Amino acid sequence: MQAIILAAGEGVRVRPLTRSRPKAMIPVANRPIIEYVIDALLKNGIRDIVVVVGYRKEQVTRFLNGLGVPIDVVVQEKQLGTAHALQCAESKINGDFLVLPGDNYIDSQSIARIKDTPNAILVKEHPNPSNFGVVLLKNGLVTEIVEKPEHSPSFMVSTGIYSLKKSFFSHIRGNDITDAISEMIQAGEQIQAVPADDWQDAIFAWDLLKMNRRLLKNIPMAREGTASRQTIIQGPVNIGRGTTIGPNTVITGPVVIGNDCTIGPNCCIMPDTSIGSRVTLDPFTFIGDTIIMDDTAIGSHSRIIDTVVGERCTLADHTSVSTAAGLMDIEGCTIRSEFGAILGDNMASGPFTAYKNCIVGNNVTIEGQESISSRTIPDGSMVI
Amino acid sequence: MCGIVGYIGRRDAAPIIVEGLKKLEYRGYDSFGVATLGMGIDLVKHQGRISEKACTAATLKGKIGIGHTRWATHGIPNDANAHPHTDCLGKIAVVHNGIIENYADLKRNLQSRGHTFRSETDTEVIVHLIEEEYARKPDLLIAIQAVVPKLEGSYAILVIAAGEDRIIAARNASPLVIGVGDGEFFAASDMTPVIEFTERAIFLEDGDTVSLSKKKIEIFHNGKPVARSVELIDWSLEDVRKGGFAHYMLKEIYEQPQVFYNTIRSVDPGALPGKIRHARSVTLVACGSSYHTGLIFKYLLEATCGIPARLEFASEFKYFPPPINDLVIGITQSGETADTLAALKYAKSSGCATLAITNVLGSSVTRVADIILFMRAGPEISVAATKSFIAQLAILMQIVNSISEMKYDDVLQQAHKAIEEVLLMDLSQTVTACKNAQSIFYVGRGPFYPVSLEGALKMKEISYIHAEGYAAGELKHGPFALLSPETPVVALCMPGDTYSVMISNIKEMKARGAPVIAIGTDGDRELPDIVDIFIAVPKTPLFVQILTSLVIEQLLAYHTAVALGRDIDKPRNLAKSVTVE
Repeated sequence: MQAIILAAGEGVRVRPLTRSRPKAMIPVANRPIIEYVIDALLKNGIRDIVVVVGYRKEQVTRFLNGLGVPIDVVVQEKQLGTAHALQCAESKINGDFLVLPGDNYIDSQSIARIKDTPNAILVKEHPNPSNFGVVLLKNGLVTEIVEKPEHSPSFMVSTGIYSLKKSFFSHIRGNDITDAISEMIQAGEQIQAVPADDWQDAIFAWDLLKMNRRLLKNIPMAREGTASRQTIIQGPVNIGRGTTIGPNTVITGPVVIGNDCTIGPNCCIMPDTSIGSRVTLDPFTFIGDTIIMDDTAIGSHSRIIDTVVGERCTLADHTSVSTAAGLMDIEGCTIRSEFGAILGDNMASGPFTAYKNCIVGNNVTIEGQESISSRTIPDGSMVI
Repeated sequence: MCGIVGYIGRRDAAPIIVEGLKKLEYRGYDSFGVATLGMGIDLVKHQGRISEKACTAATLKGKIGIGHTRWATHGIPNDANAHPHTDCLGKIAVVHNGIIENYADLKRNLQSRGHTFRSETDTEVIVHLIEEEYARKPDLLIAIQAVVPKLEGSYAILVIAAGEDRIIAARNASPLVIGVGDGEFFAASDMTPVIEFTERAIFLEDGDTVSLSKKKIEIFHNGKPVARSVELIDWSLEDVRKGGFAHYMLKEIYEQPQVFYNTIRSVDPGALPGKIRHARSVTLVACGSSYHTGLIFKYLLEATCGIPARLEFASEFKYFPPPINDLVIGITQSGETADTLAALKYAKSSGCATLAITNVLGSSVTRVADIILFMRAGPEISVAATKSFIAQLAILMQIVNSISEMKYDDVLQQAHKAIEEVLLMDLSQTVTACKNAQSIFYVGRGPFYPVSLEGALKMKEISYIHAEGYAAGELKHGPFALLSPETPVVALCMPGDTYSVMISNIKEMKARGAPVIAIGTDGDRELPDIVDIFIAVPKTPLFVQILTSLVIEQLLAYHTAVALGRDIDKPRNLAKSVTVE
């Protein structure tokens, strides 16, 4: 059995976080999403894995090289669609195969259920089906698949995970897999719908927080760094090599902290928080329900909740984030959202900056004493 | 500079040797050959690259074999000059890496005794000498031990003979490692061909001869049996594979943030030996790219620590009187660069403390120098040095940091972030401007002068476009005459001491009509208006500006060479490390 992982797309709706990496490479619970997909395949004994890369392909390839399992890489030069991506890998495919998006989480049990059923789609109910390919079923067979309908007739959506035969390639017409599936149904082929157990997609950047909460449930306990004796650690907490945690810091799991971080003293890290490597948290800072990526530094007396902070950011002291609901304009659509802040890579903000329901682009500089709420600040801006 | 591989064991030797030689191609790729011990000696050798025409060689039968991939030194690359070489009767075959300096005398004597030579190589004298000794007493080990003292120069040789179930190896001043497997042994110029089969290795000393049979290994030094320790190698095969990258060079460029960080973390600036921290003057010896890192170090050390530093090409060092009590630093990625080795030996014999900076554990230089600092770059396959360059700089910057009492700790710990940042930059506009140029000039001042030398070296190495690096002030003293609208100039113009005078230099060049590509920092208001293409790297301290501008130059050279369809990882006429003087 082979598996083709599609990781060529950028994930434009997750901007600004996808500037330096495709969506599949965004770290959630400190591991890129694609790593969970590969893990689930390996657990099922599927070792013949091909990854289709495109956008920021070097980043993905470098990561795959470090995994320790041999993985084939093929390049899709232009990101025209999922079926086109699959065609890029066609020469590597020699029999039945699985197709999986590299930027969705999937558990290994669901893969076990679909892998022996050729011509099947893994499906799952979703409260907002209009962002997905909606699947209409009859007796466990797919009767119709509609890509991103305005008014969805069903809550059952395609997870983008397919089990296919090599003959699938003869049905490809357009650039998307769903078109080819519709073509197969019209040609009279039976497509099974297999229900998924646990599947997570992050359509928008703030959805990463939900995925983070879910994936932190599985983290193993590990304590490799040095924690002061006055540190209070409760629940599942994973602390990486070379990290030091100062006195009177309280960490309540599930929390994962990477390597070589410096935290505290007197910090408070609340549940559902992922902190990358080489992150600095200055004293008296409170973090909860947040993803902080590598090499970021957060000043003292800050409060960061419901937030995704990119790599290499510098947030000065007294930064505060509060959660609010609001409407966000993403790629021309207005989307209702509720989160604290999404901060792109390499941004810097001065002391006493307050964020509320806002997206800040990459390389943005904010002078400080600003209150930023319900806004999207484009890449490279300077806020004075 | 050549690569050799030998195998003895339970598997067919030829496929293992062919694969091994492909991995050693970076050491030379003019011709290749494989000899195995079947009924007699079976031999296949060809001019050209093993990766292109290996098919016939891999079908040879036999469980014992030797192979060679050549970088021509004596005799043009053709089929006859390809190794292995055989004696007059075709019963003994030898592969050799190195140069036999007294081969002309030996050859004349041998010819006078009736030996026929089929090639122009220095190597062939070895096999005829062995033939004579073997005729006297048919024991291959004894024959080789009798021949070795007659050879002057550098060699790592592997020998097989019909009727002998073993491989005999000998080394002097050329690299040779023995891989120890289960009921099988490997011999190779470095670990890359071996690592797939075993992690256990024995590094030989100069003057060792070795007998490898299926069951056992016997090592002799000056005729007496000796024991050498078996070391565990922690490179995995994954480390030496290209992964999904189009070229090793690109892979290695992308490894640089991690390599820099690992190297910085591996050197504790507070714990460096006193000979380094209390050095009163420093002499550096290096070749090629390493010379440029040395020059950057010279600027940094003299400017920030006030310690005088002298820099020489390793090949020229011996023509000067030796320094009196300097610390002498030799920089060599491979640890095998013959000129650097000779220079360090020369310095050591004059009583200087010696420090070697190298990437290869167990390489020859580690047995020469008093102090060794390893760069944590991992194996570098691409001929054009990228990550080893950054790793060398990491060590040298740590030395500056150490001498200036950890003033730069923070800067160095954070530097990898900026390198990661510049890897994302889009240089397509600049590549378009460079790819059709006949000549490209690189100019900079202060520490950016060596940076521009390195940029020009990378460009000419892999894109074959003529490129020169100049100190910006020197341009007016001659090279200015070459400027025209067809010669792009890459100007390094970073904020700091050199900024304002660089601006006026750039204006002068613009006035001569040369298109100027400037590498500056984010938020520069003046520069983008006066140059044709402006490349902005993140605003960082000086040490990091050097690193980021280097990475930009690497990427520019790489993408230009790709646009021109060049053979990136094996540029014509070049070899990875130069083990002859």
